[in-house]
Amino acid sequence: MLRRHLTLLLLLLGALFTAGCGKSKKPTATTGAATGGVPQIWHVGNGSEPQDLDPQAITGVPEHKLMMALFEGLATEDPQDLHPVPGLAESWDISTDGKVYTFHLRRNGQWSDGSPLTADDCLQSYKRMITPEFASEYAYLIYDYVVGAKEYYDRKLADFAQVGFKVIDEHTLQVTLKNPAPYLMGIIASHYAWTPVPVKVIAKYGPIDRKRTGWTRLGRLVSSGPFQLKEWAPNQKIVVSRNPHYWDAANVKLDEIHFYAVEDNATEERMFRTGQLHKTNTMPSAKIDVYRRDLPESLRIEPYLGVYFYRCNVNRPPLNDKRVRKALALAIDRESIVQKVSRGGQTPAYAVSYPGTSGYMPRAKLTGTIEDAKRLLAEAGFPGGKGFPKVELLYNTSESHRAIAEAIQQMWKRNLNIDITLFNQEWKVYLDSQHTTNFTLQRSGWVADYVDPHVFLEIWVSGNGNNDTNWKNPAYDALFQQALAAKSVEARYALYQQMDEILVDECPVIPIYHYTSVYALSPKVKGYYPTLLDNHPYKYIWIE
Amino acid sequence: MSNPTSPTLAAVVAEPVEKGNSLWHDAWLRLRKNKLAVFGMVTIAVVTVACVAGPWMASYGYEQQDLMNTFAPPNAQHWLGTDQLGRDLLVRLLFGGRVSLGVGLAATFVALTIGVTYGAVSGFFGGKLDALMMRTVDIIYSLPFAIFVILLMVFFGRNIVLLFVAIGAVEWLTMARIVRSQVMAVKKMEFIEAARAIGFGRRRIIFRHILPNILGPIIVYTALTIPGVMMLESFLSFLGLGVQPPMSSWGVLIKDGAEKMEEYHWLLVYPAALFSLTLLSLNFVGDGLRDALDVRSSKD
Repeated sequence: MLRRHLTLLLLLLGALFTAGCGKSKKPTATTGAATGGVPQIWHVGNGSEPQDLDPQAITGVPEHKLMMALFEGLATEDPQDLHPVPGLAESWDISTDGKVYTFHLRRNGQWSDGSPLTADDCLQSYKRMITPEFASEYAYLIYDYVVGAKEYYDRKLADFAQVGFKVIDEHTLQVTLKNPAPYLMGIIASHYAWTPVPVKVIAKYGPIDRKRTGWTRLGRLVSSGPFQLKEWAPNQKIVVSRNPHYWDAANVKLDEIHFYAVEDNATEERMFRTGQLHKTNTMPSAKIDVYRRDLPESLRIEPYLGVYFYRCNVNRPPLNDKRVRKALALAIDRESIVQKVSRGGQTPAYAVSYPGTSGYMPRAKLTGTIEDAKRLLAEAGFPGGKGFPKVELLYNTSESHRAIAEAIQQMWKRNLNIDITLFNQEWKVYLDSQHTTNFTLQRSGWVADYVDPHVFLEIWVSGNGNNDTNWKNPAYDALFQQALAAKSVEARYALYQQMDEILVDECPVIPIYHYTSVYALSPKVKGYYPTLLDNHPYKYIWIE
Repeated sequence: MSNPTSPTLAAVVAEPVEKGNSLWHDAWLRLRKNKLAVFGMVTIAVVTVACVAGPWMASYGYEQQDLMNTFAPPNAQHWLGTDQLGRDLLVRLLFGGRVSLGVGLAATFVALTIGVTYGAVSGFFGGKLDALMMRTVDIIYSLPFAIFVILLMVFFGRNIVLLFVAIGAVEWLTMARIVRSQVMAVKKMEFIEAARAIGFGRRRIIFRHILPNILGPIIVYTALTIPGVMMLESFLSFLGLGVQPPMSSWGVLIKDGAEKMEEYHWLLVYPAALFSLTLLSLNFVGDGLRDALDVRSSKD
């Protein structure tokens, strides 16, 4: 009796097993369209598991890398210097006063499901982006520029027809701006906030003005870029394959890109060395010297427009006192950190703006000695660090962030005699804590979305979706509005100088260093150029 | 006693009969003959003393950094070298030993207390109570450990005492099962019947009559739990759920060393060697205790 059951069980198991195998084998068959035979697959480390694949509901860099494969803006980027080149729109006209942009969409433009991509899709996307209920963190990239958008976002204007988006015909979209913004085309080309989304598909899976409705899942997501979603194994990898409906599909060289979610940079580096990855996302600082010596052809250290900082929640004591924030900022030895801890050629940051962004050099500089820091702390009521409450520093799980945090923790202990405890969270939880300002002190960074000094200053305006410090300063907001309306670049930069001064004086964030991009790249990867934003349009890349 | 040549009855009674060896004495003799177990005990004693006393005598603090002296290989100032932030590895290793051994002992103590009481009660009473208590154990067993710890961290915040409690709260399950089965075997013996007939209370029977008779398996299992718990602590610290920086534990140091092993081998070699040595020693002692205390297995 038992034996018969056993046999049956074994048979069943066997059947299940073979069925399972049959299923898993199918999707691996790929067409080597570009090279005839061998499929071109690019394996790339992408840091964390993305928060979502909805271009209007994300803020992080790992997400951005995926967006560049899946979606395309009206304009897109040149692979070498990132200047705007035609994307979903084959051309655009800008009126002589710089306020009216007319985009001519491609007649054959299609979503990855083959349905036509029209001007109305774009209009509906931008409407979703500035819908107050939707609360996109990046809504300001639209409402700072487009006529009526801010009012619509603030619910002062109910009629979307009065916002400066207008469908002229099925393939023509007109955008009217409040003020000329010479860098706006850069934003449109580089940033997913201006990416049209498949509103008809989104509406199928839930309310359109709600985040995380699940429309981005495998089998549902419809995209517009050179690639489409093919496989999504959470916390392992996301596979995108060539999108046959993409307008420039003939020039896409890669068949697939595999984005690996590896948070541990030591694991990532090991994967690179064993040939599992063509490119890593970062590089453990302890490995940089090894690569310099043994694998110099694979090591990349490039300037990267971004600032690494500690974000203060200015609503929580003791950081509600600007003297405490300033004391913390002054008691950090930035030179030691970049030379001994991060080791990747970063430059110490004494102001928020990245020096030299489009010719802008911030004059503001954090100045003061350890003695000044001690004095400020004493004035704030903590002489010699006495009575300083327990402050926690939040960082996203990563060995390099931890090392820097430990070094700074020790500097604060030694210089100010205060104790900070460290704790880490996984990427999505960490982002959640950030956006709900559920932290006291948080490691963070701001990487430019486009090349203009504006990008480092706009997020500190009150109410900005990426401010996340609770810091509000009327003088700063006023300067920002003036900068938006500035007539010349010089006038604009002069206003930025004042804004940088305020940031250094108030320290809602404590700048630590300006980034470099440090990673390993296989010499087999071609069509890849260093860029300031670390954006590398994928359709130009191929593997030799 | 006045005349030794003519022994009296009193003298015969007073003269000690050949002293009978107690079970414990026998066990100790057997344990001493086991070379590996002795080696284990000595090693554990040395490591414990070093971990307790070492950090006091060292000239560096475990969190004291020297950014001008990072990744120094073992030398005269830093006997085991320094790490990425220029901290002395020897001091961190000894300090980490306090945490790891401390977690091992504390969590094992928690496991022992809960497990023995729970198992004894369950086994002694039997019936429906036993079924209920054991199903509860089954349910707790089926909780994934990492998720359980993460939940605890979320509710009570990160704190090292909690880590001890969390590990102890999971480790007692096996202990409870072992004790229960032993109690069930012992409680049917005649001397328990006798104790009952005399009219002793249940508590007295459990703790005075049953428990001493099953101490062997309890001690053995306890000795084997300590290394298991230390492994768990390393695992949690490895995941970032354990001790928080700049505190160190062996798990933290090994994780750190593993990331940098190609270039800075000393960061991995010393912590891993000390950790393995301690674990091996604890296992040797546990094995030795089992051979010494479990009469049935050692005399065949």
